[in-house]
Amino acid sequence: MLVTDKLTKRYADFTAVEDLNLTVRKGAIFGFLGHNGAGKTTTLSMLTTLLLPTGGKASIAGLDVVKDNFKVRSLLGYLPESVMLYGDLTAAENLSFFGKLSGVEKVEVRIDEVLGLLGFMDWKDKKVKTFSKGMRQRIGIAQAILHKPKVLFLDEPTSGLDPQGTKDMRDLLLMLNREWGTTIFMNTHLLSEVTKVCTDIGIISKGKLLLADSIKNLEQRFPEAKSLEEIYFKIEGGDRSEAGIHHSL
Amino acid sequence: MKQVFIIASKEFKAAFKDRVFLVITALFLLLSIISVYIGSSTKNAEIKAYLDIVALLKAQGATSFPVSPQLFPLAILQNIIDYVSIIGAVLAVFLGFDAFSGERENGTLKLLLVRPLYRDQLVTGKLLGGGLVIGVLLCVTLVFNTLLFSIVSGLTPTFNELSRLLVFITLAFVYMMIFYIVTLFVSIKTGDRTFGFLTMMVVWVFVSFVIPQLADSQRSFAYALNATAQTVTQMPSDTVISKGIEMFSPAVQFQNVGKDLLQVVSETAAMNVFDILSRQVLSLFYMLVPGAIFLLASYRAVQKEDVT
Repeated sequence: MLVTDKLTKRYADFTAVEDLNLTVRKGAIFGFLGHNGAGKTTTLSMLTTLLLPTGGKASIAGLDVVKDNFKVRSLLGYLPESVMLYGDLTAAENLSFFGKLSGVEKVEVRIDEVLGLLGFMDWKDKKVKTFSKGMRQRIGIAQAILHKPKVLFLDEPTSGLDPQGTKDMRDLLLMLNREWGTTIFMNTHLLSEVTKVCTDIGIISKGKLLLADSIKNLEQRFPEAKSLEEIYFKIEGGDRSEAGIHHSL
Repeated sequence: MKQVFIIASKEFKAAFKDRVFLVITALFLLLSIISVYIGSSTKNAEIKAYLDIVALLKAQGATSFPVSPQLFPLAILQNIIDYVSIIGAVLAVFLGFDAFSGERENGTLKLLLVRPLYRDQLVTGKLLGGGLVIGVLLCVTLVFNTLLFSIVSGLTPTFNELSRLLVFITLAFVYMMIFYIVTLFVSIKTGDRTFGFLTMMVVWVFVSFVIPQLADSQRSFAYALNATAQTVTQMPSDTVISKGIEMFSPAVQFQNVGKDLLQVVSETAAMNVFDILSRQVLSLFYMLVPGAIFLLASYRAVQKEDVT
């Protein structure tokens, strides 16, 4: 579903992402792990066509993210780390605007469906500026899934959410993946979330991909590791060659 | 094209929900209405005074009377030229200063640019939305002022006067759109909406006050020089230099054409609209050039924008 080939983003004075080779299969929930500044958001921005790569290629469903950027955008949904919609508009007005831009037919019906799914109907006609962080995150996910995207990109989706909000988000992602077959690509640094939600993970550090594999394979490759956290620190600490781990899934 | 209308429609609705924008709009309308009322009342008083003098002279048996005051009805609206030139420009700046930087600061720019939407469509949508707001505002001003003009002065505008008014409103639209376009460009290039607004205020001050004053100073200097050297016929006060300075101010060009259209200048008061426009073709060109340059620059800048 998603393939990158030596994807690179260089700025004048530093390289944010270098020669990233990654494959995410259709229907996967892919957790992209890395510490702050590792290159997760830059990668996600290139994949969502917000940033132009300076080298390499990336494609989603066989469509090049640079050459076919318009078509790529019709396939994806995106939830940024901090969601700030139009504060003076209501939840429904915001969703209607973004839904129409995404080409959603019968947008009002679809808004009701999605808000119902998220248990957010009571807030439909309230202005977004009155919402808490958790509520904004919910309305943010609503705008991201309104057009039933094939791939959903999430940047730290549970950041700032309370335990209940985190659980709700987790359940929602699992439901979207299961019921709609949505492929999910999420940036995160919360290992506990990855364990509960993701089927595959990638670890990036200083712009370079250290590992990409399925959770199942990782458990087989690191039989001695008691948790994903242990594997993460082992990889991030530089034991990649020792473990014989490759970048492909 | 559908995407462009969706964005334009949202921009249009958002503008009329903004309190500060509504206050500036109300001020603009109020000032133009007051201006028409005062202009009409003054003109009526002038005519009445003339008729009183004629009546008095007739009663005294006089056979010759003073020449009647020249009546150029549209001149009643002349203050609107200044209001559009100054407040209209501020209004356009206010409308566009956060068109992009605001979206960027809010994080909504990312949400827009991950939709099936070309970046130039976003610029066109913003332009169309801003244009609609300015257009509606100017249409309301035109209708209000024409009605008030007829009621207060008791005159019905002729075809020539109406066509002059329509062309003037179109010119005002173009002038305000130029400010909107420049503001849009600044908003694309700056990450901070406050900085963008302040930048445009500096531009506005230069275009509306500094450049015209520089040109006036140069004229005064030339006049003083001529007076001292007694060479008035050799060096006209309206020099090439002052004209050259004014070239950089769309406000001055707008005022030049506006004064002709609203019969402020007696030599052109009887001309038809086409003759006025041909006469002012250079002013129109100088006014349009910055708009065209910044329009192209805006489309180019948004294509290059890396959204992080």
